[in-house]
Amino acid sequence: MCVGVPMQLTEINYPSGVAEAKGVKRTIGLQLLPEGVLEIGDHVIVHVGFAIEKVDKKMADEIWEALEEVLQMMDEEEEERARGLSSDGDG
Amino acid sequence: MNKTDDIIRHIHSLVPGDKKIRIMNVCGSHEHTIAFSGMRSLMPENLEIIPGPGCPVCVCPESDIINAINLSQRDDVILVTYGDMLRVPSKEGSIRAQGGNYRMVSSPQECIQIADSHRDKKIIFFSIGFETTTAPTAAILESGIPENLYILSSHRLTPTIMEILVKDAEIGIDGFIAPGHVSAIVGANAWNVFSEQYGIPTVVAGFQADNLMLGIAEILRQLKYGETKTGNVYAGVVKPEGNVQAQKIMDRFFEVSDVNWRGIGHIPGSGLELREEYSGKDARKVFDLQEIKESAIPGCICGNVILGKAYPADCKLFTKVCSPNSPKGPCMVSGEGACNIWYKTG
Repeated sequence: MCVGVPMQLTEINYPSGVAEAKGVKRTIGLQLLPEGVLEIGDHVIVHVGFAIEKVDKKMADEIWEALEEVLQMMDEEEEERARGLSSDGDG
Repeated sequence: MNKTDDIIRHIHSLVPGDKKIRIMNVCGSHEHTIAFSGMRSLMPENLEIIPGPGCPVCVCPESDIINAINLSQRDDVILVTYGDMLRVPSKEGSIRAQGGNYRMVSSPQECIQIADSHRDKKIIFFSIGFETTTAPTAAILESGIPENLYILSSHRLTPTIMEILVKDAEIGIDGFIAPGHVSAIVGANAWNVFSEQYGIPTVVAGFQADNLMLGIAEILRQLKYGETKTGNVYAGVVKPEGNVQAQKIMDRFFEVSDVNWRGIGHIPGSGLELREEYSGKDARKVFDLQEIKESAIPGCICGNVILGKAYPADCKLFTKVCSPNSPKGPCMVSGEGACNIWYKTG
């Protein structure tokens, strides 16, 4: 619930806009940032459907790297757990 | 030698050999990275990284959950909340198990759509969480919400609970890793109180393992050289003053209130309720909700886990009868709860 993801703005109709990440587009709220500071192409951190801060592309990429790092670790743990359960069952 | 190795080596060089150091994180996503990366096993033995109150659904009072269940059972109501809230247990069950008419949302914005398409119902948004979710709820109020939409606020203030932890000598915190995105809202300066009043280094960090370890290294550096101040290794996102517009919008609609924290108790000035002028939108007032006495969950030590007084593994229920598929306490429900995270990482 508190995980913020970076998205790139593709449309601005303040106080809302459309942002994209990983091929997914979402309508998001922009009213937590001042009107006029955002431009199409900007990256923002989105929390529960609202942009809470503008970041540069490098930071957006780094945050995605962190998110993907954790997602990958979770996948690996899940697989390991599934393998463990499966071998428990066999044994 | 890569960057990660350098940071780990640096951390080892900064930890004093003869003293135990306890650093607390107060963000479920930080705990996620710490646990899933296996970072604890790479730290010096006398450095403890303890999970703190970073899980919003874990601290949501049972009374609010029961009130939400009861509201959802009314014919004229649709209860709306975040997915994590649906499975949190109470003595009356969870919203998912016992709730009548409820919907899950991933954004407050969806509450407006639900209210618009169900004009004959009263839509109650059970809005919970720390500053990162308070600001979006304030944002929909700022834009104007439908007449049939009400807010059941169970929002909590991160800096206030951290101050409570600092004052509890039993916990013994030497440093805080401040939450990255809460800090984006409240600003790095919001943590100055810890260095200035309590002499506790507090460093804002992001969510990459390397960045978190940099934060830990900065806390250790300050402890070693006795120069406590607020640090920020996530400056690409977090400004010293935070998101001033979000703070103004939150302040317009919410005021500080005295509230209960599940498993912890009553903490003056640690919650947010709608201001009196918006009482017509406050579900607590409109539906005359009463405080229901909290019941203890037998054997569950979630309150102590949140306070950093115990680890999930110290709980007798942990992994034996309490699991993400069958949670007994709130810390096992949410992906941000320490017990849930520790269960998944073994």
